[in-house]
Amino acid sequence: MERNPMRRQLAIMRQSLFDQGHVDEQFVQLEELQDDANPNFVEEVVTLYYRDSARIILNIEQALERKPFDFRKLDAYMHQFKGSSSSIGAKKVKAESTLFREYCKSGNGEGCMRSFQQLKKEYATLRKKLGAYFQLARQAGPVETASRPK
Amino acid sequence: MAPTLPSSDQASDQDNWDNGRLARKRQLLIEIVLRNKLTALVVDGDTTCRVLEQLLLRSYGVQTQGVDNGRDAVALIASGVKLDLIIIDMILPVLNGLETTRQIRDMGVHCKMLGVTICSRESERQVFLAAGVDVFIEKPLDPEHLVPILRELDGQ
Repeated sequence: MERNPMRRQLAIMRQSLFDQGHVDEQFVQLEELQDDANPNFVEEVVTLYYRDSARIILNIEQALERKPFDFRKLDAYMHQFKGSSSSIGAKKVKAESTLFREYCKSGNGEGCMRSFQQLKKEYATLRKKLGAYFQLARQAGPVETASRPK
Repeated sequence: MAPTLPSSDQASDQDNWDNGRLARKRQLLIEIVLRNKLTALVVDGDTTCRVLEQLLLRSYGVQTQGVDNGRDAVALIASGVKLDLIIIDMILPVLNGLETTRQIRDMGVHCKMLGVTICSRESERQVFLAAGVDVFIEKPLDPEHLVPILRELDGQ
């Protein structure tokens, strides 16, 4: 496949990540930290996020199996997860994290469980979309970047 | 890799918005040139956040180290390390961010402390400020908040 059509496809894919609300401007911030010395930086950070956040997801799942719910602990886990998600610009995941914390605050166990299920869906969807995006980006190859002073 | 941009005749409103924000952010990244060597410590239990905050600081030439819990932060500062800036999360393993902040201030450390955390309540913000952070910033840390602080620390 020629590079230019791939580049166009990549741009469309990137745009849809924003248009569909999966990522916010923090994702642009990550892209800004990427340069010739670190051409796969964004992918590496997202990989790091999914690796580390898997542990938090598991902790929350286990905590939701124990009754009565320890809302303080659940909130603390979600605090970390939300922070991590916000740092990569995961907009929908972050929104569900906020909702979960609201349910923790009000002691609504059913709400926590519902919200957590939705959060996991958004988390998985984002992973799939970003995975496809990075795969295409690697195929398309690097673009010229304007150099900025270090 | 700069963000991929479609050709101008295909640019949507979203593209123009993105390009505008990106241009402003690039300006923030380019504008600041530090005259002095600044040092910083990032205290965050989350690896992704800690790595990104350190990278952001380093992109401005700030010499930065990171620890993942409050106890190690206190120990590092107690060892005599001089810092211009500390970035600290509220919820930390081992020793929480509030207590860590208090202990750092109790040691007589007066450097700038930024509480960078996820916050949903005004009361949390006030508690963190009362513990001793100078500025409260909601995650994620971004150049728009960071650059003016670096300029101030650099005496610009």
